Amino acid sequence: MSAIAFGPGQAAILLFGVFFALFILRVPVAFALGLACLPVVILEDRLSPMILFNETFKAYNSFILLAVPFFLLTANLMNVGGITDRLVHLSRTMVGHFPGALAQINVLLSVFFAGISGSSTADAASQSKIFIDAQVKEGYGLSFSIAITAVSAVLAVIIPPSILMIVWGGVISTSIGAMYLAGILPGLLIAAAQMVTVHVYSKIYNYPVYPRSTFREFLLSGWQSIPALFTPFIIVGGILLGWFTATESAAVAVIYAAVLSIFVYREMDIRHLYHALAETGRLASVALFCVGTASAFGWLLAYYQIPKALLANVTSWGMGITGVGFFIAFVFLVVGCFLDAIPAIIIVGTILQPLAASVNMHPIHFAIIGIVSLAFGLVTPPYGLCLMISCAVAKVPLKFALKDTMIMLVPMLVMLAAIIIWPEIPLILPKLVAPELLK
Amino acid sequence: MKRIIDGYHRLLSGLMVATVAILIVPVTLQIISRYTALIPSWIWTEEASRFLFIWMVMLGAMIGIREHSHFEVDVWPELGAKGAALLRLVSDLFVLIFALVFVWWGIQFVRFGWDQLSELAELPMPWIFVAWPLAGVTWVLFLGESFVQSWRVLRA
Repeated sequence: MSAIAFGPGQAAILLFGVFFALFILRVPVAFALGLACLPVVILEDRLSPMILFNETFKAYNSFILLAVPFFLLTANLMNVGGITDRLVHLSRTMVGHFPGALAQINVLLSVFFAGISGSSTADAASQSKIFIDAQVKEGYGLSFSIAITAVSAVLAVIIPPSILMIVWGGVISTSIGAMYLAGILPGLLIAAAQMVTVHVYSKIYNYPVYPRSTFREFLLSGWQSIPALFTPFIIVGGILLGWFTATESAAVAVIYAAVLSIFVYREMDIRHLYHALAETGRLASVALFCVGTASAFGWLLAYYQIPKALLANVTSWGMGITGVGFFIAFVFLVVGCFLDAIPAIIIVGTILQPLAASVNMHPIHFAIIGIVSLAFGLVTPPYGLCLMISCAVAKVPLKFALKDTMIMLVPMLVMLAAIIIWPEIPLILPKLVAPELLK
Repeated sequence: MKRIIDGYHRLLSGLMVATVAILIVPVTLQIISRYTALIPSWIWTEEASRFLFIWMVMLGAMIGIREHSHFEVDVWPELGAKGAALLRLVSDLFVLIFALVFVWWGIQFVRFGWDQLSELAELPMPWIFVAWPLAGVTWVLFLGESFVQSWRVLRA
């Protein structure tokens, strides 16, 4: 081949230029990332297309990423096995008498769901089917219904367990147990912000209310849901006590959900099981295939030291912890608009880590800022998976629900700002429960 | 022809479902073996689960092209049937380039690892690497079908 050696600037233009051109031509993102690598690896003298194969192989040959299909499978088993139904019922007895009852149930169910499954896409897929149609029938706006379902789905990766935290722990070596504990309070705060948003919407548009459930109904429903609500304690506790690794905990969640579905709630048959497995394989594999090509893309960025060139100036701005925190959140929010969260952690998380370390930001604080920002990226266009899934279920284009989604993001961004300004919000729980993990 | 492609598609998706179902087994054995002496703590469980996982991803990525389930981003205004078909044709062309890369260099990738054995279970690595060229060939087949469909819409 011709003797070309690209500088970082040229390589960056070629990589990002091809990627965005293909992205606009509606080439699937996974393929656009892989194709963007091609001109560089073919033209550059020191590289060969074999990099594409080695890097994708290395990405898939990873025990950590097994958590992705496992958490999706857990969610799918919950849906076909009757666990979700019971949690919907429990949510109804708790918030059904608030204005905008069904939308409040939507948010609260996401909190429960988040405690069992670690996948936001699974949450968006299942709750879109449950709520969007039902909400519209009760007189809620379609765009509001799509938006609230999508934004509440992001809780699944903030409240433990979480696929993103497992990947983060694998890529940036941070304690997953500590991240799990640190995610709880921010997740609940964001859920509270969403419930306030629903309340305001419901007052403005007069959304319906259900009659208040009796305390007896609440207790009964709670009793039926106890086995399901116990899951997060098994998962987080098991990891903190060292019973199993984070990826293994995802397998434990699968087995627990299967046991509940088959033996306790007894609602699953073979056809349902096959369906759950097929759905899991479909969603997990397309999401993970993209992780492979993104890893190759990220490898090339690192090879040309493009991130270093981009961040060269930033370190000299002399920002404090809070300034760096806002900068990190901004970068992840922007990247999250164009990339899925796992590739973003692989490509960008590793770049920003030295910056966070340079101002002595706590690694757990850094992780939570990154993960919350990337979680918001799941509903920001043009590439917001949860919003795309909800819109696909409702059979409308993504633009349709954009305005309400952006309105709902404002209070969530306020919570993100609070997390950046007060590191205590994420750090207090790990400090109380497992201080040794923070060392 | 359509029946053959349908059958092949069903075969691939059946295999993918099998990989998802089996995936849970080695990981479960790995956890259980740590706490009881009932089963030995086999060293191959971790490797077996990784290899199943690779096949799951590649099989899902193969059928994803026919099911249009690979995530794409829509920045275009409403296009008519013909406009959409034309855009599909263009984007399929680029995916085809990628598919051909997977076939051509994928074969070299398999050859390169021809004699390699896996570290723990000593499985022949070509069993894993062959997923890449196979994905390339499968995409070419599915894209061919998609080209015919887009072409029909454009000519109508």
